[in-house]
Amino acid sequence: MIDFRAAGPLEQFEIVKLVDLPLGGIDISLTNSSLWMLIGTGAIILFFVFATRRVSLIPGRLQGAAEVLYEFIADLVRDTIGSDGRKFFPYVFTLFLWILVANLFGLLPTFPGAPHGLHTFTTTSHLIVTLALAMLTILIVIVYGFAKNGLKFFKLFAPSGVPVWLLPLIAVIEVVSFLSRPISLSVRLFANMFAGHIILKLFAGFIISLFGAGGAFALLGIFPFLGTIAVTMLEFLVAALQAYVFAVLTCIYLSDAAHAADH
Amino acid sequence: MLMSNDSGADKADENQPGSLEEFSERLDRMRGAPEEPEPQKGVSAMGRAMRLSTELLAGLFVGCLIGLGLDRWLGVSPLFLLIGIGVGFAAGVLNVARAMKE
Repeated sequence: MIDFRAAGPLEQFEIVKLVDLPLGGIDISLTNSSLWMLIGTGAIILFFVFATRRVSLIPGRLQGAAEVLYEFIADLVRDTIGSDGRKFFPYVFTLFLWILVANLFGLLPTFPGAPHGLHTFTTTSHLIVTLALAMLTILIVIVYGFAKNGLKFFKLFAPSGVPVWLLPLIAVIEVVSFLSRPISLSVRLFANMFAGHIILKLFAGFIISLFGAGGAFALLGIFPFLGTIAVTMLEFLVAALQAYVFAVLTCIYLSDAAHAADH
Repeated sequence: MLMSNDSGADKADENQPGSLEEFSERLDRMRGAPEEPEPQKGVSAMGRAMRLSTELLAGLFVGCLIGLGLDRWLGVSPLFLLIGIGVGFAAGVLNVARAMKE
């Protein structure tokens, strides 16, 4: 009989330890999440190694794909941050590719019968991962902002043209708004991936349940099946879009840090 | 699109086939329209709504968190929580207003 327990929509987010690695008091075990991070990172490196192995003026397919990705982010960084943006290109490019690949690899089907630890895993569906990325971005914004503008970085919280008696209130609101950035940045990516995968799993679970019911119900299984196809296509869109949104917002925040003194 | 190839073919004859000029001309012709549509344009209002709602909630969340923290530190609960909710809501609206402008 079919094992219906596998249809639990939250089981796909479970962290499974693959290799125990206690380092001092810190647990740095290899989990399925870190395994998929490594797979994603390895795939990106492999892609660029192969894409840039034989560089020619008229690009082949791989080189063309790599150039499209490069120009996409290079244009984004140049348009958003301006001439100061060049030094942030490696960071934004890495961030974009890593999130994109993590999102897309999460949509790969699991090999049938694979042990739980080797199921396809979406690393970006965990808030702690996206929060770490967002915190890194905000940390760079703060460090670069102070390094470039010195104490004038605080002008970011005091927009020009505000009457003096209103300034304390506005400054407090601006500080809270600034602090909310890493949260909105990380929650958006996490929530999109998390919700999408739950919906996907639920729809797919309906197919199995209807087939299990047999008879006329089995025929009805075609509807959740079509739904699953539609949601899968939507998820590919969301995966790419969320990586793009994360990169765009990172650029906007970096641009704020670069131009804080000009306000 | 296809018809415009005729006029381009005459021009291409002036350049030697395989030269850089000829190639870039051919590339321009194949590309057709100079600008591709923006990738985020066609995307549903859903993504936009998601973006705006997280902006609002994140502001409120941080405001409440700071309020609760100050309350616990100074022991004046719930004074700063109430202030924090107000400030957080204002920050959330500010976030949304900025996100709309982009």
